[in-house]
Amino acid sequence: MTREYDASPDAKRRIDPFMVAVLKSRFEAIVREMSLVVMRASRSAVIKNARDFSCAILTFEHELVTVEDALPIHVMSMDMATRPLTDHFDDIEDGDIFINNCPYTGGTHHADLIMAMPVFIEGTPRFWAVALSHHADTGAPAPSTYLPFAKNIFEEGMHFPCVRLVRKGEVRDDILRIGTMRNRVPDLWLGDVHAQLGACRTGARRIEELCTRYSEQTVLDFIADWFDYGARRAAAAISALPKGTYSYSIKHDPVPGVADDGIPVNVAVHVDPEAGEIIVDARDNIDCVEGGLNLSANTATGSCRIGVFNNLDASIPHNEGAKSRVKVRLRKGCVVGEPSYPVGTSVATTNVNDRLMIAGNAVFSEMGAPYGQAESGSHLPAGVGVISGADPFKGGKTYVNQVFVGYAAGGANHGHDGWLTYCGAANAGLIQLDSVEVDESMYPILIEERGVLQDSQGAGEFEGAPAMYGLFRPIGHDMTIAYAADGTTFPPRGVLGGGDGKASLTRRIDADGSTEDLPAFAEEIIPDGSKLYFTACAGAGYGPPSRRDPQRVADTVNRGWLSQARATQDYGVAFEDGAEPGVLQVDETATDAMRKSASEKARP
Amino acid sequence: MTYDVCIDIGGTFTDCLVADQNGDISIFKAPTTPGEFEKGFIDVLNVAAEGFGLQPRAFIEQIALIVHGSTVSTNALVEKKTVRVGLLLNDGHQDMLVLREGPRKGAFEWKLDYPEPYVPRNLTQTVVGRIDARGKVITPLDEAGVRAAAHHFKVSGVEALAVGLLWSVVNPSHELRVAEILAEELPGIPVTLSHEINPMPREYKRVIAAAIDASIRPIVQTYIKRLETALTSGGFHGELLLANCIGGMMPLSEMLQKPIYSVMSGPTLAPMAALALSDEPDIIVGDMGGTTFDVSALRGHQLIITPDSMIHDDSLGIPKVDVRSVGAGGGSIASVDIGGLLHVGPQSAGARPGPACYGQGGLAPTVTDANVVLGIVDPDYFLGGKMKLDTDAAIAAVSQIASALGIGVQEAAWSIYTTANHNMVSAIEEITVREGLNPRESFFVCGGGATAIHIAEMVDILGLTSYMIPRFMAGLSAFGGLISDICREDNAVFLTSDAAFNAKGVTATLGFLTQRGTSFFDGAGVAGENRSFEFSFRGRYEFQSFEIEVPFDAPGGQVTADMLPDLVEAFHQMHERIYSIRSDNDTVEFVAWKSRAVGKRDGQDLLNSQRIAQQSGPVVPKGARQVYLGPQDGKQNLAVYDLRGLGESATVSGPCLVENETFTAYLKSDHHGAIDSQGNLQVVVGSDLVKETQE
Repeated sequence: MTREYDASPDAKRRIDPFMVAVLKSRFEAIVREMSLVVMRASRSAVIKNARDFSCAILTFEHELVTVEDALPIHVMSMDMATRPLTDHFDDIEDGDIFINNCPYTGGTHHADLIMAMPVFIEGTPRFWAVALSHHADTGAPAPSTYLPFAKNIFEEGMHFPCVRLVRKGEVRDDILRIGTMRNRVPDLWLGDVHAQLGACRTGARRIEELCTRYSEQTVLDFIADWFDYGARRAAAAISALPKGTYSYSIKHDPVPGVADDGIPVNVAVHVDPEAGEIIVDARDNIDCVEGGLNLSANTATGSCRIGVFNNLDASIPHNEGAKSRVKVRLRKGCVVGEPSYPVGTSVATTNVNDRLMIAGNAVFSEMGAPYGQAESGSHLPAGVGVISGADPFKGGKTYVNQVFVGYAAGGANHGHDGWLTYCGAANAGLIQLDSVEVDESMYPILIEERGVLQDSQGAGEFEGAPAMYGLFRPIGHDMTIAYAADGTTFPPRGVLGGGDGKASLTRRIDADGSTEDLPAFAEEIIPDGSKLYFTACAGAGYGPPSRRDPQRVADTVNRGWLSQARATQDYGVAFEDGAEPGVLQVDETATDAMRKSASEKARP
Repeated sequence: MTYDVCIDIGGTFTDCLVADQNGDISIFKAPTTPGEFEKGFIDVLNVAAEGFGLQPRAFIEQIALIVHGSTVSTNALVEKKTVRVGLLLNDGHQDMLVLREGPRKGAFEWKLDYPEPYVPRNLTQTVVGRIDARGKVITPLDEAGVRAAAHHFKVSGVEALAVGLLWSVVNPSHELRVAEILAEELPGIPVTLSHEINPMPREYKRVIAAAIDASIRPIVQTYIKRLETALTSGGFHGELLLANCIGGMMPLSEMLQKPIYSVMSGPTLAPMAALALSDEPDIIVGDMGGTTFDVSALRGHQLIITPDSMIHDDSLGIPKVDVRSVGAGGGSIASVDIGGLLHVGPQSAGARPGPACYGQGGLAPTVTDANVVLGIVDPDYFLGGKMKLDTDAAIAAVSQIASALGIGVQEAAWSIYTTANHNMVSAIEEITVREGLNPRESFFVCGGGATAIHIAEMVDILGLTSYMIPRFMAGLSAFGGLISDICREDNAVFLTSDAAFNAKGVTATLGFLTQRGTSFFDGAGVAGENRSFEFSFRGRYEFQSFEIEVPFDAPGGQVTADMLPDLVEAFHQMHERIYSIRSDNDTVEFVAWKSRAVGKRDGQDLLNSQRIAQQSGPVVPKGARQVYLGPQDGKQNLAVYDLRGLGESATVSGPCLVENETFTAYLKSDHHGAIDSQGNLQVVVGSDLVKETQE
């Protein structure tokens, strides 16, 4: 059963306007509380520190009601993960709870365990309370949840393809036993599952209270009005875009043995302003690859929508009504589509998926200014590598953890330079950067340098964010680091005349000063006395550099992000000393002359 | 007669509470005077003098103590009118304040610029010299480099300096040597060292605190000098204490050393007041003013301290009493978006032009305008009639919303009212749920001039069953100042763990901290029997990246090896309380140690002994007015009671209004109020509860 959402400005209103605002904030509060339960009660660092989890409320008909503080990739197609539940079960009852982490039954990838609880009001199922957590381990053959070389699901972790974990309030220990038996950290897994159970039950209880307080009919009417509102906002935003079909291509770096030439990703968007609708078409892509880089239908669908919403007003509610204005076309058996069983999808939430989102961000630039975004940096440089070794200050005890010393930078859009602490398209600038002192107190390492790399950004009327770089070394032991630095071969490219951002780089510097550039996808040992130097990707530029406001150029130079030489060469801006020492100001006469002569030269 | 006075400078009004030596309290208000806050300070003392029928000088000469919540540093920060600061960092880490720990943004927000660092690049210098996590000098300090940086600062005309070197918290030798060199090269320029102002690992928070402290140091110094001069010439020869942001007072000399502790200190006095007003364990304190709604909480009758308060795009760095602000005040502006959804705030009409009904040129519809349209606020009795409100202007403003929503003016006003209430409820849930407080089981203490208009509906949404409208609600923070302790916190880093616990080292660390606290007590003139120390540590499980604060008992600051199990158990329990889990088999690491020196003041408790007269005769309303109570209840004629005419044990039942000169309270139906012995209005929801409390 699917309902239509009325996007017209004079759509029927079922409840008082203030009640829409009221119930909107009540639902948001419920999801926030669910999120707090997950964050508080979970045990693994990836959930607590990196916040790799999301909560949501859907209607029982799988329509997304509310997301709050969620990672977009987790929730933009959450409906795909709950829909198979009602396909597989015809005896869903109050108190049941289901789990699903299988990309072949609507999951994102094997590490994201999606837990869904039906919410019954007066005996009728009305909502789903959903909590998704990225688990630290899923019992895959290798001790990681990102396995680019895992060809099929037999080389991945445990799959729960829509399994009833709780029956009428009773947790089924046999199901939990399956989960804990095949897991390297069963206590962590169990603790994290309990946190999700708590979140779902909290969400369900609060929704019941809401229906008691405001009446079930008012809440259901709100849902209908709320979706209409979302549809109205999205349609209004889309109707302001230029009509047409736009396409964009990008390429993931080569991965030896999986995709030796890299993986191209093509996206086309059809914009229909009259209908207030966008179709994102990702069917024109290669077939699945022999490895874990294939997307799941869930992530492919979500990422296609995320690219669109990244280009619309951020205050549009990301609910089912808004989603209904963005239709997605995928192909079965495609690397960015619906994977063919049993092909591997272990890395379906990052890497190629990031490239799909970046393409979705950038394709809007084909409409010309002011639309779209330049390409942003790709993910998993050595600055976010997993480091491990034997800690000499703790009697050789083993340490192993992911650090967040430095990560990819964002691309520019019209009106704004790129976001510096971006951390890949899937993370959308939401991941915290490590403290140098906290890292140095937890691991036997010294972070000698960590900062912003001058002149690395893509030039443009609006600049990409510059790259972050770092230099760190083990103290008194050999350190191993694993990373997957996409963007080493194919760095971010500018749009509408904007320049490219700098590529990712991984380098070992030995005690004698000799250096070796390391492969992009690798596990490397940094011996005692050597250092690891990395630069993450910089963001790319938007629009021709010649159009950049000279004052912005001066600001970037004064911030230390751009050298005076590059400013003159790329932007045709000349400077003179400002009133303050160390601050330059634009020499307007010289700049005008320089820019004029450059534009004359450019003429045919 | 002698008086104790607390003066709290808010955005719109400067509040003054005066307690005489019998504990009787009076409240006075005067407009805040931005730019020269000391003027409003003296103005309100003059108003108070008039209230007592005294000449200003005669009144001021009788003041024994003034405690003061200043807004001068907060304003400087909010308006970005701080002084030029030079910042010195380690070589290789010049971008510490640029990167922060990754600033927060919304997932789909891209139309924004990355925030500029608190100190611009041209005023940020680096120096070679590095210390590691164990305090070992990896690279010696390049003193010539320090002198070169000093030269740059000199020609750049900096007015204050901040030094933020990595691991200065375990080995301060480099920061201390830098301070010596800077004193030689730049005599007279104040220097803030990160390990002194905020001795915690996690460099961004420590260094941003140093930078913020430096940037307001000359401003706070100037203000305090001007205030002292104005007071002295006014005849004042009592003691002056300043509110700090950790829930206490400091003498001037102390605040001059750590001016960052004055930031956002005024709002922290509200939970202090609630501590004294109620014995309930879990209390929510809401303070609605002109531009913001400030919410704080007490858990187990203790203040909640947060390490995460923000100022613009930066952390404040130091821990402070947790007070959250949302843009929901009387001046918050209502608007309707393109999809037809109503929003209230965070934009505000502020004090100028203010709500449309102020008649100062404001046209935008605000919460106060809605309250006038609804009839809750009496336009002829605002501030006791001192300020007439323009009802027609309020109606005209709210009509904009009515036509955008296609509803009537009263319905639009109700929509604004209830949306504002829900915004505040979200803020309350944010702080209570995050702190593990069940809002439904908490007590609510109202503060600020506008809260009592909105409290009844908020209480119903939250499911609370009791709340208090204090007699001095409009000056709740100032009341908090009158009854608060003198206090100071000191921190030190000392790393140890339960795997290899160094009890001697911990005792030495606490000894160092209590020594500082003792000299603080000496300086503040706190008598020996009034002194106490509270200890806590910041700990974590191995490989956790965030520490939690755990209080513990250590008589005399002595820690021995046999106390370790208690410390570890206290950590497990706190971890379980905050995160719902404990890991008994994991190593517990102790990172930093804190002592809180708490000094009681003579006469501090006198205020609680004051009583008002018993109610005599029937409770009679002073009048009635028409109030629109929403689509269901429509317009009703509500009784209006004058709070000043009500004695102890007088009861009123909603729906009704209760007023005095500084506020209006709206009680919904089934809300039952009773005046307590101190003249506060205690309200319970539901008729059963009334019987229980009366029995």
